[in-house]
Amino acid sequence: MRASHVLVGILVTASLIFAAVGAAMNDTFYLRLATEALIYAGLALSVDILLGYTGLLSLGQALFFGMGAYLSALVLMIVPSFWAAFAATAIVSAIAGLVGGFIVNRVRGAYFALITFGMAQIAAKVVYNTRALGASDGLIGVPVININLGIASISSASPAAFFIFVLSLIVIFYVLSAYLLDTPFGRLLIALRANENRVQFLGYRTMTARLAAYVIAAMIAALSGALYPMLRGFVSPELLFFATSGNAVITVVTGGAGTLVGALYGSLLLTLLKSVVGSYTEHHLIVIGLLFMGAVVFLPKGLMGVVRPAIERMLARETKP
Amino acid sequence: MSGAVEYFQYVLAPQMLIGLVLGVAVILVALGLTIIFGLLDVINMSHGEFYALGAFIAVALGTIGLPFWLLLILVPLVMLPVGYIVERGLIQRVFHTGERHVTTLLLTFGLGLVLEDTFGLVFGPNPYKPDIPIAGGVEAFGIFLPSYRLFLIVIGGAIIAAVAFMVYRTRLGAMVRAAAYDRHMAASLGVPVQHVYAGAFAFGVALAGLAGVLLAPIYSVFPTMGRDFILIAFTVVIVGGMGSIAGVVVAGLLLTQVQAIVSLYISPVWSDPIVFGIMVAMLMVRPQGLFGRLGHG
Repeated sequence: MRASHVLVGILVTASLIFAAVGAAMNDTFYLRLATEALIYAGLALSVDILLGYTGLLSLGQALFFGMGAYLSALVLMIVPSFWAAFAATAIVSAIAGLVGGFIVNRVRGAYFALITFGMAQIAAKVVYNTRALGASDGLIGVPVININLGIASISSASPAAFFIFVLSLIVIFYVLSAYLLDTPFGRLLIALRANENRVQFLGYRTMTARLAAYVIAAMIAALSGALYPMLRGFVSPELLFFATSGNAVITVVTGGAGTLVGALYGSLLLTLLKSVVGSYTEHHLIVIGLLFMGAVVFLPKGLMGVVRPAIERMLARETKP
Repeated sequence: MSGAVEYFQYVLAPQMLIGLVLGVAVILVALGLTIIFGLLDVINMSHGEFYALGAFIAVALGTIGLPFWLLLILVPLVMLPVGYIVERGLIQRVFHTGERHVTTLLLTFGLGLVLEDTFGLVFGPNPYKPDIPIAGGVEAFGIFLPSYRLFLIVIGGAIIAAVAFMVYRTRLGAMVRAAAYDRHMAASLGVPVQHVYAGAFAFGVALAGLAGVLLAPIYSVFPTMGRDFILIAFTVVIVGGMGSIAGVVVAGLLLTQVQAIVSLYISPVWSDPIVFGIMVAMLMVRPQGLFGRLGHG
């Protein structure tokens, strides 16, 4: 049993209790807020796959997140089916990830960060100025949908049920990413981060691996984004803006880059912080910015760099009595 | 024939002049950015906020009655120690980690957030519009230009020339270029590399602050003013070649003219996507940009 899995278990248990309490108290606001935190956790997960494992800092992951949200909203407005929206997003984001990957993977390091940033900016400006996509207003009036799961049906209008649904999807994304990064392919990505030139000398095609990581991250970001219009009933160009990409990076670095589970906790922490600090002052960015700078300087492994070793020690104590 | 002349006089030339003023403004911001990258290998994501800081200091000192011309000298002088402290106190802390590009970028990004929100806290969200220091306008060949914008073009050109002279023709500039080329060799020859680094960062930040003072009367002062400006400044630095002073000047003039012409013939809406498109294309085809880096020829 690994420490990260324990941490995810704790997160899921806490979330289920939270959902039960929320449902019992007939709460909507906090359940919706927590669902949004989970959706952004999915985006952060995609950033962590790139930053924490492959060593690529994406400053434009909102490109795929926003694309998924818009696509999902458009599909839902024509066919109110979750699976249609999900499948469309998966296919389009895979293709867009491949095309984008060819462009951005020509460069490394800081240039990679800036080219992803530039691409997301272009997309944001184009959407912002396209009348057919609602321009600066975004798309409103995404219908409430019933998600057909074969044995049961979940309404996106039910806060607790939809929260649990989003939770399960994000956990599935986490499990899939964690599994993938544990395979030889995942080791290859980690090796890329350590020293890309040596990986080439070992006979691997680094471009393929980088491209694959980029496409996977693009798909996770887009599929997380696809959940957004189901939750809020609208999409706006803000989803594509740099603030969205930047928040995802802050989430990952504060939570702990290269841990995956840090992205989940980071997103919950940041959402909590925003709503707590936000209830006192609108200037919550000062607090978040300082916290983030502190994490960069003092905690290179973020929150998880502190929490995970403690859990690991606990686990080690249990296994050898 | 006279139709073409009038078209040039009333449509094309004014548009290009607006582009030129913006170009000089962008170059002033981008100069500091490129010097910091060329020497320290640091992408200063908070550069736009230092530009805003300069403008806000000017607004604050302006309200207690200091004249604009004094601010032009005073604000950069105030910014110098700020930049020096930021470099020594923050950037050096993560400078020697393996992934310097990423960690310094993240750190300065966080600093930018904090600064921007602080401006909002202290000055409020509403824009300030300082008075234009030189009123009136100049007419030449039938083309009208406000005097302050003409002044901006002239003083901007002078500042750019002065910076280029400092970097390429003075002993101090030689130390900076030597440290950029090979810091260990420079250090062993007695160049105080630590101070050169912090000094260059402070110098870049002071340039951004100076740009803030100069541009405040035209573009007005508000907390997020740096954000819109930094995008185009980054684009200019990338297209020109990170760390190249000539590159910043050429790319700055070129891209702002592209923006002006695109706004005229296609739509102002498309000027930003097209300029970013040029940046992305440049990064794909020639990531090093038009010109080489500081200290490398």
